[in-house]
Amino acid sequence: MENTATIVLRNQKYEVKAGSTILAALNKLEILPESIICVRDGELVTEDVILRKGEIIKLVSVISGG
Amino acid sequence: MKCKKCGGKAVINMRQHNMGLCKDDFLQWLPEQTQKFIEKYKMFTPDEKILVAVSGGKDSLALWDMLNILGYKADGLYIALGIDEGISYSSESQRLTEEFANARDLNLHIVNMASDYGTDLPTLAKETRRGRDKPCSSCGLVKRHEMNRIARDFGYDVLATGHNLDDEAATLFSNTLQWNGDYLIRQHPVLAERDGLARKVKPLFRFYEREMAAYTLLRGIEYIYDECPFAVGSTSTQYKEILNQLENEHPGAKIHFFTKFLSAKKKGLFAEPTTKIVPELHICPTCGQPTSGQDVCTFCRMMEKSGQ
Repeated sequence: MENTATIVLRNQKYEVKAGSTILAALNKLEILPESIICVRDGELVTEDVILRKGEIIKLVSVISGG
Repeated sequence: MKCKKCGGKAVINMRQHNMGLCKDDFLQWLPEQTQKFIEKYKMFTPDEKILVAVSGGKDSLALWDMLNILGYKADGLYIALGIDEGISYSSESQRLTEEFANARDLNLHIVNMASDYGTDLPTLAKETRRGRDKPCSSCGLVKRHEMNRIARDFGYDVLATGHNLDDEAATLFSNTLQWNGDYLIRQHPVLAERDGLARKVKPLFRFYEREMAAYTLLRGIEYIYDECPFAVGSTSTQYKEILNQLENEHPGAKIHFFTKFLSAKKKGLFAEPTTKIVPELHICPTCGQPTSGQDVCTFCRMMEKSGQ
């Protein structure tokens, strides 16, 4: 298995480098941390968490319109 | 990141407060802050009857949940607008709202456009000039009319909505870009009752949208995740994104933008208008609700036009 983790936002999957923080991955993907919250194994986590190899981080979009 | 209160593992970082909190402390902090702002802005007292406008989204369900936790007498109102657009948006929102109410044994009023008025929002919007391009304007009109009607008919003292700080900041941004003085002077977390219009309050106006999303997730509240299909790509969503870019570079930008606007108003930055911007209200002969026009109100005119 490659040294990557998966980030999922609204059915879109992104392979990112494990070993760096979620924040670093968000910056690389140009996703604003203000517009999401991060969920690991059903638990809310902060963006300074280090991505583990093979794991999936789900991003919940927080912006609602209307 | 560590929780600022207990030193445990933080689940949320609120950069605008320079504070991370763990699950337990966040779930205690948010309702406590809500209570603080309810009191500070004299929104309502524990003796008053509150009607919460619930859409099935995260903010309104979180608000209803917190008011319940804080011991307020708060009932819900859901307006079934009949928006489907291939994702059963309204029926799914209603299902989630009803599940929420049933699980907590809370009283929920439901207004159903189809059974109560024989139409739905998309049809209504298409048939009127107001909503021909986009139904959002008609939607706002229907919601305001029905919220006030239910509040009046069932004797509620106050109408509470789940507007959060991002909503308020985006509205302020929009009104400022257009120097829309009429709206700027009226924008406030509390609108006093007058001439048959119920008092309106926004107890979540100090919380960022992501805090409300975190609250619902941590409380296990299931909400409608999809945006209203008609709101996708809306101007207000674009403004929220712009403000989030600012927030990212300057933590606290959103909260300062809005709260400093409120304090500037309080200090008298905005002069009293030289012309009357809040029109006198009259009673609509059809529905009996207050209207700024001299004759039938816009809601009733819209219904008449669509043949209802």
